[in-house]
This record gives sequence, structure tokens and C-alpha cells, in this order.
Amino acid sequence: MSVHRTQGGQAPGTILEPEGRGLAETDSPLSTAPSESPLRTVVAEHRVVVVCGTGGVGKTTVSSAIALDAALSGRRVLVMTIDPARRLADSLGVSGKLNEPSAIDVEGLLGRPPADGGSLHAMMLDAKGTWDSLVDRLVQDPELRQRILSNRYYQRASESLSGSQEYMAMERLLEASKSTDFDLVVLDTPPSRNALDFLEAPGRMVQMLAEGGLRWMKIAGGSRFSSSKAGKTLFGKSRQAMFSVFERFTGGEVISGIAEFVTLTSEIFDGMKVHAGEVMTLLRSNEATFVLVASPNRISLSEALYFHGRLDEATIPFSGFVINRVRPVRPGDETVAREPWGSFPKRPEVPGWDEAVRSLWGNHRKRLRWASVDAHHIAALREQVGEGPFYVEIPDLEGEVHDLEALSRLIDHFAG
Amino acid sequence: MSSRDLLDRRVLVVLGKGGVGKSVVSAALGLRATAAGKRAVIAEADGAESMSTLFDRGAVGYEGAEIAPGLDAMSISPSQAVEEYLLRMLKFRLLYEVVFRNRYIEPFMNGVMGLSDLITIGKVMDLEWSRADGSHGPDPKGPPKYDLVILDSPSTGHGLSLLGAPQAMMDITRVGPLYGNAKLIRDLLADRARVSVLLVTLAEEMPVNETIELYAKLRETVDIDVAGVVVNGVRPKLFADEESAVHWDELRAAALTSGDERAAAAVADGERAIRERERAEEYIARLQSAIPLPIIEVPLLAQRDLDVRALTEIGAGLEWNS
Repeated sequence: MSVHRTQGGQAPGTILEPEGRGLAETDSPLSTAPSESPLRTVVAEHRVVVVCGTGGVGKTTVSSAIALDAALSGRRVLVMTIDPARRLADSLGVSGKLNEPSAIDVEGLLGRPPADGGSLHAMMLDAKGTWDSLVDRLVQDPELRQRILSNRYYQRASESLSGSQEYMAMERLLEASKSTDFDLVVLDTPPSRNALDFLEAPGRMVQMLAEGGLRWMKIAGGSRFSSSKAGKTLFGKSRQAMFSVFERFTGGEVISGIAEFVTLTSEIFDGMKVHAGEVMTLLRSNEATFVLVASPNRISLSEALYFHGRLDEATIPFSGFVINRVRPVRPGDETVAREPWGSFPKRPEVPGWDEAVRSLWGNHRKRLRWASVDAHHIAALREQVGEGPFYVEIPDLEGEVHDLEALSRLIDHFAG
Repeated sequence: MSSRDLLDRRVLVVLGKGGVGKSVVSAALGLRATAAGKRAVIAEADGAESMSTLFDRGAVGYEGAEIAPGLDAMSISPSQAVEEYLLRMLKFRLLYEVVFRNRYIEPFMNGVMGLSDLITIGKVMDLEWSRADGSHGPDPKGPPKYDLVILDSPSTGHGLSLLGAPQAMMDITRVGPLYGNAKLIRDLLADRARVSVLLVTLAEEMPVNETIELYAKLRETVDIDVAGVVVNGVRPKLFADEESAVHWDELRAAALTSGDERAAAAVADGERAIRERERAEEYIARLQSAIPLPIIEVPLLAQRDLDVRALTEIGAGLEWNS
């Protein structure tokens, strides 16, 4: 099967269905995996690790595990996460606190201290708060600052403008990377359909605000002068026509409100442009690397393949895939009999016994089948992408990962 | 509490966190509708193309395509929806081209004013307003083009802002055609006889917490009916009935004494299945205590990759028990 996209770029590759493949034919991914820990090596060699992937694949968990692992090995780590699950946030001690790094008591929570000098900080990002602090820093005049913060289009834009979350994550990343308090920043990116959104959206947003803003000011300017002779000369008929179309459509109040928003915020755009440029330089440098998290099913791996293709086209430094919640294929799984009677006695005289054995066996075989399908999809991904990047498989641990203890158990599986 | 059938509405908005299976549930609902003799359409927002993956076919695109007999799917790309809307509003293409089709103005209207969110949800409502004879509008005349419109909504945050977009637009415009359109859309969303949200989640910690929060937020911010919650991928009970379940201890003992490694592995998997089932039941109970609505469980199927047959099976199970 293949996945089709409507948004730019070429069609992604294909992940084959394991049609007609029995357990016996499936290769075990464990038997071919290298024994060193490629993820650890990659993390150790970089100062910024960007973790991306679609929603629901466990990005936040993997980001936190990477950060904890690095902290335990002695680095001073900041993990920045967007909208994490509450329990994870609680266990990391960051719930309620937004936009500032909070120290996590690794030793207290885990019972073992990080290696020399190691520490872990976590920060929950909030786009609105970051916008506000950006305004605070970039706008000197307190009265102007207040007018911006209370403008309702500003409030709307800071919450839901496309690219706003991504821009603000980058803004924070830039800030953290300059800080001497940390030697590693792990960034859990906002979920997006397209990996490049994270890189492209901020630039697009700033450009749009700057250029679009100028247009709005001109259109709105048309209104102020439209009745006067000077206005007609200054702005011309076409602009007046545009204004009147907009006015009919949206009401004049909207235009003047937006124009005020743009006028007020125009002076921070220059600063934003500079920051967007700086962060792109950082992300393309050899200090940064990207890691993709995926689930081992066909939709998620197709998306990962597509993500990878886009990163590759854009020459983004990419290290590898973390495939989360994989059901491992265990030795001997290939040769499991169809019927349970080699392992359990048949007792037709006992009511319910044979059915119980069949249920138990059916459950067992179902798990093996899932594991083999997972393995098949992962093998297909590896075949398509090639052996350049690392492929780390994190097994589907029982229970969920929402405390430091469980995170530390996850780390044990970092070896590829 | 609602006891009417789920399909007894004109629009179902399938909403939930990323990765819980909204698209699977949407597809299953669509197939169930067609099995009941209805014509249905699944609309995907943000230009997503999950239906093409699930039905193993080419992209359905903005124009849409029939993905199963009686079931259409379309992928709403915001820019195409905005263009269609503005052209309809402005009547003249030239005016649209000159005024709105500007690479800075349009994203500005979409981002700062929330136009694309409004128009995306408006496009879904427009499907409800579509008649079989090709006409459309809020005053229905003649049989509808679709008996059921299913929105496979974007995940939590963006999904919420889509549903809140009409009210938000009304708040900023207060007057004019845009206000009027936003109000029409908002009023349809609020029509409990015609439109409901169906929440989708998994029987796991984070999805359950997020669903409880989402439900509260939805109640707080949007005037819309919530029909219930679908809990996707629930582990079935290990043993089908009590008669076989009573042998569990004996089975474990048999595996231990036999020394058969395979039997031990089967028992270990069985133990895990039982624990997972228990946890799922706890999560469903927590969900039920926080959300006083019908909750439907969709059992985890043996199949890892779902095909049309599996989706149909899931659809058949999407029935209200209350």
C-alpha cells in the first residue's frame, strides 16, 4: 500500500503488506541489530537533539527518556516539551509551571544520583506565554507593550496563528542553546503532519506578519484617507476598492483592529526575523541533530518514511529512527504450532477446558502475529531508507511510561 | 442521556487525541451507515488523506471520491475551501484574485482572523446543506445528498478550535456577511437533533486523562451535543466465558509442571492479557465516572493492519447500549 499526500513534495515510498507471510518466514529484527548503542552515541555527540514525529507515537516519552539518560551520564540537560501528558509532567515536576526550566530531582525520584555534574531540567512550552515575553523583551515602551498585549488580534494570533507554536519553540530553543546552564537541549516538537513544518513554519509566519501587515496597513490607510482628495492621490483607487470590498465582507472594525495589531507589533518583526535566521543556522549545524519517533504500524511508518524523505531533501542533519512500542519477536517464536495440544493436554471430558486452552493459545499466537507484522513493517522501512541512520526499537513494555522509574527502564532498551 | 442510535444524526464530529484511531472510527461509522442503507461522506480536515491509506486507494482529494459503495470521502484542504467560499461570496473571480488571492493577505486572514478554521468547519456544514439535486443552502428542500456527514477531525487542540471558530468569528466581526455565515454555522453546530460530537480514546492513562479534559473544555467553550465516547482497541477478555475462565489456575499449574517452554510463554502472555484487560476496565470506569455519557468499547482486533472487512466489523459494534 502507499500513502498519498496533498501537501507538497513527492509521494512517499511504500511499506509492503506482509501478505501471506507466516510466522516461520519472518526475520527477527533483534538478530540483526548491532550491539552498541547508536542513539546514545548520537546524543553524546550533539548539543541539540530535535525529536519529531506525528501525534500519539510517544515523542514526549522518548524525549524525556533521552534527556534522563544523558543526565544520568553526567550532562546538564534541558528537555523542552509541548503539551505533555499530565502524569509525565507531574512525575518530571513541571506541571503548572510554564516557560521556565524547572530542576528535576533525579536522585530523589529515582534513588540514584546522576554521574558527576549531571542534571535534568524540564520546561513546558506555551506559545502564548512566549509571545508575551518576546513582546516584553523587544518592545521598550511600557505603554506600547500594554496596548499590544491587550489587542484582541494579538491575543488570537499568539494562541492560534499557524506557525506560532513552532516559532516559539524555536525561540526557546535558541535561548536555551545560548545558556551556559545546559550542555544538551532535547526538544520535543509539536506534532505535525510534516516534519519540515517545524523548520519552515516560523519563517513563513514572520514573513507573513511582516509583509501581510504592511498590506493591511495600506488597506486600512485607504479608509482613513478615502474620503479626502489627498487620500485618493496617496492611495489610489485600487486600494480604496480593496478596502471597500473588505469592509463589506468583514466590517470596518475588523480592518482597523487588525491594522492596529500590525502597527503595534511591526517593530518586533525585525527581531523575530533575526532569531528565525539564527535558529536555522543552529539546526543545520553539526551541533544539532534530528530523531524521528514512530509506531511500528503501517500508517505511522509510512509517515516516518515520508518525514525522512522531506528531511533528506532539505539536507537536515538526521540521525535515526526510534520505533516505539514494538512487540519483540522472541527466540523460538517462528516455530509455534498452530494447535496447542503439543503443550497442553486435551481434556474433552472437562467442560470448558479445551476452550480455555484454545483461548490461551489464540492469545499467544495473536501476540506473535502482531510481533511479526511489526518486524515486517520495520524491515520494510529499513530496506527503503537504507542503513545510514540508526534504528532503535523500544519494546512495548507492559503498563505505561509515566514516571521517572518507568523512563529509566525505557533507557535500558536504548541499545539498538 | 441519549438513547437514540448514533446514526440518527446528520453530522458526527469524530474528535480525540492524536493516535487514538479517529480515522478508523470514522471509516467504521461510514461503513455502518452504508450497511444501514444510508449515503454517507467522511470529510478529513487539514488535507489529511487517512481514508486513502485505510481503503488502500489513491488520494480522494478536495473533490472527493467514492471509497466504498454508498460511502464518499473528501479531504478538505483549507486553502481550497477558502477559495471556494470567497469565490461564492464575491461572485467575481477577478475581485477574488485581486483582493484576496494574495500570498500575504490570505494567510493573514486565515491566521489572525481564523478564516480557514471557520471555512473548514463551514465546508462540513455545507455537506449537510447539500441536496441530492446539486443545490445547497441552510433551508433544506428535497432529499439530502448525504444522510450522514462524518468529520474525521484534527486532534484535540486544533479540533477544538475548528468547532469554536464560528463563535470566535462572530465575536470579532459582529456584523456583515462573514458574521452572518459564522452564525449559520454556529447555529447548525448547536442543533442537537442534527449534530453531535463523538469522542474517541484508548483505555490508557494519557488518552483517558486527555479525553476527560477535552470533554470539560468542549462543554465550556462550544455549544454542541456530545453523543458519547468510543474507547478504541480495548483488550478483549482472555476467556470468553466463566466455564473456561475457571480453569485459569489449573492451566498455569499445568504449564509449570510440564516444563514446556511454549506453554509457559503462552501463560505469560495470558497473564499479561488479563492484567491489560483489568487496567482497561479501570480506565473505562474512570472515564465513565467523569463523563456521564454512553461509552462504546471497540475490541482490539487480532489483525494488526485493518482492512475494509475489519473496519466493517468495528462499525457493526458501534451501537449504543443505553
